[in-house]
Amino acid sequence: MRRAAERGSIAAGAGVGLRFRHHQAVIDSKPPLPWFEVHTENYMGGGAALRDLDAIRRDYAISLHGVGLSLGSAEGLDPDHLARILRVAERVEPVLVSEHLSWSISGGVYLADLLPLPLTEEALATICRHVDQTQNFLRRQILVENPSSYLRFRHSMIPEWEFLAALAVRTGCAILCDVNNIYVSAANHGWQASEYLAALPPSAIGEIHLAGHSVRQLDGGLTLSIDDHGSGVIPGVWQLYSDALSRFGPVPTLIEWDTNVPPLEILLDEAARANSFLESARSGFAHADAV
Amino acid sequence: MPTLFEVQRALRRSFVEGNGDEAAAYILSDGPAPGARLDIYRNTSIGALTTALRLSYPAVHRLVGAEFFDGAAKIFIKTEPPRSAHIDEYGAAFPDFLAGFSPAASLAYLPGVARLEWALSRALHAPDAAALDMSRLFVVDAADHCRIVFVPHPSIGFIQADYPVDAIWRAVLAQDDAAMAGIDLGSGPVWLLVQRLETGVDVMRISKREWRFATQLCSGRALQAALDMAPGLDAATVLAGHFAAGRFIGYRLETAP
Repeated sequence: MRRAAERGSIAAGAGVGLRFRHHQAVIDSKPPLPWFEVHTENYMGGGAALRDLDAIRRDYAISLHGVGLSLGSAEGLDPDHLARILRVAERVEPVLVSEHLSWSISGGVYLADLLPLPLTEEALATICRHVDQTQNFLRRQILVENPSSYLRFRHSMIPEWEFLAALAVRTGCAILCDVNNIYVSAANHGWQASEYLAALPPSAIGEIHLAGHSVRQLDGGLTLSIDDHGSGVIPGVWQLYSDALSRFGPVPTLIEWDTNVPPLEILLDEAARANSFLESARSGFAHADAV
Repeated sequence: MPTLFEVQRALRRSFVEGNGDEAAAYILSDGPAPGARLDIYRNTSIGALTTALRLSYPAVHRLVGAEFFDGAAKIFIKTEPPRSAHIDEYGAAFPDFLAGFSPAASLAYLPGVARLEWALSRALHAPDAAALDMSRLFVVDAADHCRIVFVPHPSIGFIQADYPVDAIWRAVLAQDDAAMAGIDLGSGPVWLLVQRLETGVDVMRISKREWRFATQLCSGRALQAALDMAPGLDAATVLAGHFAAGRFIGYRLETAP
């Protein structure tokens, strides 16, 4: 099996989530980034979108990030969707292919959001089976991302960090560590973000996501943090990112900004900021190696 | 302890059927209530699907306004939720939904505009396919020409409407009030061909006879049978036009019954 997410197959630099509205700007201005990430589902047809991506692909590494496979569905994977992902992967030849620790399909209905799993042995066995199936079908390792979540199930038995680590160990998949999602879920559920990071096996971390989130006021003065990817990365998430790099070493890092999408320059500024953290992590690790 | 299947079924029911009691019983209720937590997901889901519909139906959105569109979309999403995660394919049933949606009944041309927009959206996302080179037909014996069955380009679509929905669509998207005011809703039916070209998706008005011939050719009917449906048509010229525009990507010969 191709170990695509092993360190070195993609430069441990910062990339940016690519949206349609930035296609032309990227093709014209060729910004100095090593890679872009796209949503797999946006390139399952033909026409201009795919033609643009072909052009961008000539100058940049591309990571495919899926939102629709529903790895955690009790009723199994949609073979048509798996086939669509394979077609996009064969066309784009991505450096990374990722999906989520979540589910979206039940009774043949696509619920159009990344829903949380009850963290039980049954759910773990189910998602392990589907990650195995996906990796065998795509003939490559995939990365699985920790979601942000707004609810927990009463019967969940396994902490999410242990669940994710067990998934990586059992299937050989890599982990896409979304630092913003850890921050959001920790805020919503009273978890210790540091405990989450400490439980993840550093060798399995193939990519990091950074994004903005918002805080929503609910009735009774309660709040929930919402992972809406609609603003810049906040200081607390940069700090957690720094902690993550201290533990994992330099890891390819993506800036996600999917709603209220700003001009490309703003995204490049965020990527430059991530790069400065990566630079520190590299020197820190070099120093540690020398000692 | 509920099974994974039971938990997912309960959440689906809370989304689609609006009955969240069973799902709420599975959810920890410290802090915000389970219902408020479920609403975060439900609202994200409805928002994402409404956006998908708005991207496929921009002229309908402008014609009815954002508030009306969002309200109609919410009802549509509940009655016709997506069956796959390939969201570009979501919304095929929206024109029929609008046709039966009584609050929109005063805009008689709305379902026609929606059908045109769905054909355009399909064309936009259709897979790429190389056009059939006419020279590949030279090997077909003249006696067999009547048995040729063409494979249409996947972006091809046909619309017949009782109103000039192509003119309405253009005027609405261009926000051209003068053009909109100049449209004669009583000008009679239109026959339209939708296709993706190198330059983008295009809608073309063609004659009823050409439309009938082209729809037959593109629905797996053999050349002679299609010609029989369109008597008096200058078939050589029309076919040359189809080839020049790359509307076919292959052919086969119909076997004798």
